[in-house]
Parts: sequence; structure tokens; C-alpha cells
Amino acid sequence: MNILEKINSGFTYFDGGCGTILQEQGLKPGELPETWNIIHPEIIQKMHYDYLCSGVNILKTNTFGANSLKFGDEGELSLENIISAAINNARTAISQAPADTERYVALDVGPLGKLLKPLGDMEFEHAVTIFKKTIELGAKYGADLVLVETMNDIYEAKAALLAAGEVTDLPVFLTCAYDESGKLLTGADPKSVVAVAEGLGVSAVGINCSLGPKQMAPLVEELSAYASVPVICNPNAGLPRTENGKTVFDVGPEDFAKAMKLIIEAGAQILGGCCGTTPAHIKATVLESANHTAKPVTEKNITMVTSYTHSVIFDRKPILIGERINPTGKSKFKQALRDHNIDYILQEGLTQQEKKADILDVNVGLPEIDEVAMMIEVVCELQAVTDLPLQIDTTNVEAMEKALRVYNGKAMINSVNGKEEVMNAIFPLVKKYGGLCVALTIDEDGIPTTAEGRLAIAKKIYEKAAEYGIKPKDIIVDPLCMSISAEPESANVTLEALRLIRDKLNGKTSLGVSNISFGLPSRDLVNGTFFTMAMQNGLSAAIMNPNSAEMMKAYYTFCALNAIDANCGDYIDYASNLPSMVAAAPTVKPGEAPVANDNSNLDALTVAITKGLKDRAAALTSEYLGRGDQAIDIIDGYLIPALDIVGKGFEKKTVFLPQLLMSAEAASGAFDVIKSYFEKNGAKQEKKGKIIMATVKGDIHDIGKNIVKVLLDNYGYDVVDLGKDVDPEIIVSTAKEQNIRLVGLSALMTTTVPAMEETIKQLRAAGLDVKVVVGGAVLTQEYADMIGADKYAKDAMETVRYAEEFFA
Amino acid sequence: MDIYTINAKDLVINEYEALRYLGYVRSSITDEDIEIVKAAIEEVRVLAAPKACFERYPVTISEDFDITMPYGIIHSKDLATNLNGCSEIYIFAATIGPRFDMALTRQRQISIAKAAVYQSVGAATVEALCDTLNEDLRRKVVEEGGTLHPRFSPGFGDMSLDNQKGIFSVLRPEKSIGLTLKDNLIMAPEKSVTAIIGIEK
Repeated sequence: MNILEKINSGFTYFDGGCGTILQEQGLKPGELPETWNIIHPEIIQKMHYDYLCSGVNILKTNTFGANSLKFGDEGELSLENIISAAINNARTAISQAPADTERYVALDVGPLGKLLKPLGDMEFEHAVTIFKKTIELGAKYGADLVLVETMNDIYEAKAALLAAGEVTDLPVFLTCAYDESGKLLTGADPKSVVAVAEGLGVSAVGINCSLGPKQMAPLVEELSAYASVPVICNPNAGLPRTENGKTVFDVGPEDFAKAMKLIIEAGAQILGGCCGTTPAHIKATVLESANHTAKPVTEKNITMVTSYTHSVIFDRKPILIGERINPTGKSKFKQALRDHNIDYILQEGLTQQEKKADILDVNVGLPEIDEVAMMIEVVCELQAVTDLPLQIDTTNVEAMEKALRVYNGKAMINSVNGKEEVMNAIFPLVKKYGGLCVALTIDEDGIPTTAEGRLAIAKKIYEKAAEYGIKPKDIIVDPLCMSISAEPESANVTLEALRLIRDKLNGKTSLGVSNISFGLPSRDLVNGTFFTMAMQNGLSAAIMNPNSAEMMKAYYTFCALNAIDANCGDYIDYASNLPSMVAAAPTVKPGEAPVANDNSNLDALTVAITKGLKDRAAALTSEYLGRGDQAIDIIDGYLIPALDIVGKGFEKKTVFLPQLLMSAEAASGAFDVIKSYFEKNGAKQEKKGKIIMATVKGDIHDIGKNIVKVLLDNYGYDVVDLGKDVDPEIIVSTAKEQNIRLVGLSALMTTTVPAMEETIKQLRAAGLDVKVVVGGAVLTQEYADMIGADKYAKDAMETVRYAEEFFA
Repeated sequence: MDIYTINAKDLVINEYEALRYLGYVRSSITDEDIEIVKAAIEEVRVLAAPKACFERYPVTISEDFDITMPYGIIHSKDLATNLNGCSEIYIFAATIGPRFDMALTRQRQISIAKAAVYQSVGAATVEALCDTLNEDLRRKVVEEGGTLHPRFSPGFGDMSLDNQKGIFSVLRPEKSIGLTLKDNLIMAPEKSVTAIIGIEK
């Protein structure tokens, strides 16, 4: 019986703990257990043998930490020798054990002990490369399957699964380590893990380590509710503690087996153990399970996408896909792409999240930029600031593949259509990386004018997907809508197509709703009503603008009326905040009393900024511009004096950092209003001078640098922000190319001060006439002098003062 | 090795400590400041997954400040002074987990003011975790008739950050609490502490 047949026919048993057994045999702290495959093969073989005698089917090789970070290519203890010896030890044990049941060898693959970027310092592709090397060797030396285990980060798990898929056809199992909150350390819940893992083609999915069997039961239940593959449960024997210098665990074999009964009832088919479990634990579990029947594994017809923390399930409640990250028809967005202004794009994402988008569509295609590089960067940067799932929207197949590769989760893919060529390009990517694929009902003959025609294309797409092994649940059909101004029957045809796809194909649907009103005035009115009609006809998801009041009204009222909004809670929340959404910006009457009495002789705008009231500062600025004040007078008369009041307070220690920053943000709010006023009127805001800001090479702490940047921005300087972890060469070349004469460098750690010194050295060596101001937690005047800086600024205000002096 | 977990709800996170990290002078703290920090503390509690692991080891200190650590002999005058009279040490690693880091990155994009407050509250939270663990260990040692010395971390005084490698090789916090060491010897997640506590009997 091969391993896949075995796990789909009743219970299968994994072995238990390894590390704890080896410690009992004398493994020292700091000693690598994998070396014992070669140094003490007899001990490893004996451990395997004991497990086999207690009824184990699958042995985990002693290779948890066997990777190229810990083992080299050369010598007796090379990675290859370790892995071949480990598999050989398992095979030897099997050959000596009773042949009373099926036996398999799983190449055990543990985490790398590194967090991936952006949390840690390891590149995703580097992790893939390391895993590939281990798994390739495992396959070469004859493992029957690959077990990726103890993953506490879904991103790292993805790297391992992807690596496995690229080097071997062996079945791959995944077990993750969840904590007490029922999530992975980096936040993923069990159903999201299932979605990602199944997308990457695992044959079984489950849980191991970190918890005892009792705490695992509810997690196994969730895994089992969403998984269409067998579920694995390998718990610890409770929690470890030290007694007289020895590590002990508190759950004995009998109690362990009793708790495993709960695990069986929760739906696991593959049972075993992790830290602290022994052959006795497994034997008791085998005996206990003899009284039960394994739950059959069933196909779960659940359509879902995920981020790295949670999933969005396409069910009765319509899903909102924010459309704003897209340059089409948006001159500001296009400019942001050309200027490489990632912050602008991130802000679009965060605003849509605040407005309750469930998923963000990401389209960064513009002829004059490198779309592939931009797509990868935007996907990574967005995922660093938002936990919403993303929909990768591009016709560039290379950009699609690269984005799906680095995406952390199971993405939505926009899109495929009925054209052979497109299906043949996109479906292999869906199969390899997983994902929910949007399918447009258009083919070589164009868009059918009838609903039946669109249904036929949908059917064709489902069939072709099936040839690639893509399940119907991973296809979502977009029957397309054209403007009713050009095609009077357009809405009717689209609505009928929605019904047909739902009723005849049991399919999910998505629409770019706002196309319906193209060419009409007040488009939002038409969009809102059409959205309601589409939802009523079964629409599962809309690509839409969450900032549109009409669309959101349609959505909230529809959900409340259809009993998919518990207690009308979301509707009530929305409705009670409605006025602020309807009005473009809150308005303030001129001459209104200032907010604080002690500032009664100050202007209201100055007060709003000193108090850090961002919305009020923005509203007052619009008001002042509206009544005819000159922008420059507003800046010099109210904004700068307000910042000075706060800045002086900060220097005198009557105002502290959060207040200083809140004021800066309020001033930014006012500046944004002035900026868009300038843009509308074609004028340009005068900048006082250009300054480079960067956190030096090796240092990824950018909060201090960002604080300084916000303040300098406010004071009217043109800040060229090079970000964090910046190579000295980039700083030098930027200063040279843009002829910038003031450079601000930040370092937070003693270990990166040398990088700061190197940067200054290179600036001087390039013969540039620049002044360098340095700051950061570890810096002192002494350090600054030592590394040859021109100025040490102890805080953000001091940098501003220095800039004022410099450009005076 | 022992693993120590505590529910973030049960941590005593001091708002004045967080305000001090932000540069506040005690006498000028207003009720409003305290409210802002308190609100951030509650948000950080939801994000925090406080965990630590620790182990007890014998230690000897030579007259010229060589110290026998479980991962080898190191030289540090400041640590040797701190451990004066100790025959054993605890080594621990503690973290509040990566979800805090994710939230902080997001706050930087939304509000730099709030991000600054988060930053200091995160630091106060991992300090609170260390204090609670420290107190547990102190009680245990007092029961045995001993005392604990103040905790001491790599990077303090002349104890080099290189010690992180040794500490990570013996505690293996990657597996037990998800704490990792970057190539530049800085830990990820960001709000994490490793330290040595001397045991004197």
C-alpha cells in the first residue's frame, strides 16, 4: 500500500519525540542532535526500532535541523552524509522490526530558526533554496514522504512546501505549531493554514509540538472542518519543565492516550507525538484508537483566500474587493508609480481597509515602469502594513508568477478568461502556487451578448481548470458588465448570467461593478443600485470603491435586509457614522472659538495644530483657502508658528514626543490640503532645500528617522527618504546626482555605527561638499565626533534647527 | 529547559515606564498622557504573546574576569563583577512575539505619533515579562536559601553582543518560543530580551 492509500484508509501512526530521548542518552546542550545519525547510529536505530515495535507506521528521520545553515558540504558531518545516514538508520530499524504493518520513512524538515523578512532578516527565496537542498537529498536517499513540521510561521511553511514541489514528487505533509491562542506565532489561524497548504499541494495537514493533546482538540476540529486531506496530530506530552537538571513532561502514556481519544473524535486520521512522547505514549495511542473508527476524509467545497493571518470565505455575505490600487484613470496614482512613491500606494490600501474592504486588488501596471519589480515590491510592502488578503491584478504573466511566489497566503488571481492561450499561461500558476482565480467570460470570439453565451464560457473554463487539477471552488466567474449607456440590455444580461452561474454551475461570481455606469453623470447613483441588484442575483464579490458612499449604503442595507449582518450590527455602526462620510470634509465656521482657553489669543488653526487635531486642522485650512487666504500666508502665519510653539515646548521639556508628533501629523493634514490646492491651481509649493535622510546599512530601525522626516517635511524641506538599511553607495550616488548638500543619517544600534562611519567616509572620499547630521539612540556627541559627522542632533527638533541654520 | 508563558492580561505593564521611554519628565505628565499610554497598553496586550525559556547552569569566575558559560569561556569585567559570589546562573530568553512587530509597522504608516507610543509600550511590556519571570525565579532561589543578582544582558557594559550566539545555541529559543537571532546579532521579534541572572548561595 503506498503512503497516500494508507492515510486515506483508517488510522496511520507517526512516531513520537526524539530530542528528549537523545538528551536522556547524553546529548549535551548546544550539541546538534542530527550529528548522532553518524556518531551514534546504534542509538538512533534503537529509538526507531522501539517506536516501530509500538505500532508506528511512519518514522520521522532525525533531521529536524538538517539544513545548509547548520551543516556544510564537506567532511564527515556534511549535510548529505547526515541525511543519508538518517534515512539509512530508519530503513535499518524497519528491516529489523516485525513486518506486521506498513512502514514508511518521512524526511523530517524543521524550521530554519530564522524569521523571514520583513519580521526577520531572511529572504523568502533564500529560505526556499535552503529547503530545496535538504529535500532534494531526502528524495535522493529514498525517503517515502516529506514531513514539514513545527512551522510557526505560514510564510516559512510556504517556502518549504514550494521547495518540496520544485524538487520532488514525493507526498508532502505539513504540521504547524500553534500557541495557546490557537494561532501560529505570526498569526495564522488553522483554516488559513489549510487553505495555503492545500493550495501548495500537501497530502495531509496538521498540528504538532508546543501544546499537549487536550489543548489541541479544538484546533484539530477546525483543521478537519476545512481540510479535504487527512489531518495529522502530533502533540507534546504536555509542557516541559526541569527537575533536578532533567527535562520532564507532565502527561504520561495513559493520560496521553485518553486525550488522543478527543483528537480522534475531533477528526484526526494520522496520530503520533512530539516532544516528551515515548514509544509507550504511541503504544497507548495505538491501543486506544483500536476502539474507534477514523472519520472519513471528505472534499470541503469552501471558496476562500487568505492573508498571513486570516481567511476570507466566499459564502452568503458579499465580499468587498477594494479597487483603488490601480492607475487606470487616476493621474495621482500614475505619478506615484512613476515617482516610486510606495507610501502613497500603501495609504490607498490602508484607507480601503479602514472603509471595510475585505480584500485589496493590486494593479500597478504602467507602460513606462518595470511592472514585475513594482508588483513584487508593492505586494511585499502592502503585506507589511495590512493583513487583508490581496488580489493580484495583472496581464503580465511574469509579474503574476513572481507576485504569487512572494505573496504570504493564498492569493486571489485576477484573471484568466476563456482564451486557450491565457488559460494555458495562468492555470499552471494556479496549480503550483494555489489561489482563487477570477475567470472572465470572454474568449477568442469576444464577450457573448447573451447570458447563456457567458455561461458556456464559464463552463469551458471550469472544464479546462479541472484538466490542470484545479477544483471548481478555486474559480470565481466574472460575467462582466458593460456600460448601459452603450448597451441598454447590459445590466439585464449580466444579472441573468449571475443567476445562471450560481444555479447551473453552483459557481461563485465577481464583478467590477462600476463599469455599468461608464459615460453617465453621477455614476455612483447607478453603481449603488446595480450593486444591490447584482447582490440580489447572487453576486459573491464586488471589485469596488469602498470610499463610495452609495456603494457602501447598498452593501450595508443589503446585508442587514438579508439577515447576514448579526443584529444589524455593521449597519448600525455604519449608519451612526454616516454624516462624516457624506460630507467631503468637516467644515468649521470662520471665527469659531479656539479649542483651548489658554490659547485664546492664538488663531484657531494654530491651536488645532498645537493640540494635534488633524481633521480640524485640515478643515480649517480648506476654510481659510476658501475665504481667500494665500497659501503662503497660512503656512507662515499659522502652521510654522504652531510647529514652533510645540518645538520650543519639546526643547524645554514641557511638550513630549507623542505630542510633538501629533502636532506634526496635524500640520501634515493642513499641508495636504494646501498641496492639493496648489495642484488644482497649477502652482508649486516652494521648498526650502533638499535633504537626504537614511537609516544606515544593517539597521532596520527607522522610527527615529521617520520622525525627523515628518518634522522636516512640515518645515518645508524637500526630504529625499532613502529608507532603512541603506548602502553607503546609494547615499553617495543620490547626493551626487541630485546635488544634495545636507545628509541626515540615523543608527539605533552600536553594531551599525561603523556603517555610519563608512557612509561618512565614502561621502568625503567622493569629494562631495556635504554636511552630515547624525542621530539615533546609541549616538552621543563623542561618537559623532569620532566618526567625523558635522553635527550630532540629540532629537528631531535639533535636526530641524540645524537645517534652518544650514539653509539660512 | 523550562518554558514560561504568561497571559498578556496578567502582565503588570507600567504606564510611567512607557512614558519615561518617551522622554517624559514625571512632574509634567498629565492625565491625558496617561490615558493615551493606557489605551496603547491595552492594544498591545491583545497583540502580545509573552513567552520565555530559561535554564540553570553552574558558573565559575576567575580573578581576571573569565567566566565559564555553558557555551564556552567568555571575558567580561562587568558581568564578572555582577556575578561576584555566584556559583550558578539562570540564562533566559523572553519575547512578546512577532504580532507586535507587525502592528508597529502598520502604525508607522498610519500615525507616527501612535507608533512612537507603541514602541515604548512594547518595550515596557517585555520588561514587565522579564520582571515577572525574574520574580518567579527569585522566589524559587530564596526558598533554597539563596539570592539573585540583578539581570544582565549581552550588550550591557563590556559584555559583547557576540554572546547572543552562545545563548541561542544552548537555549534554542527558536523552537520553544519562536525567538530568532539575525545575522547582525539583533533579535527578531524586536521586543525581546536575553539575560543572565546570578544565583548566590
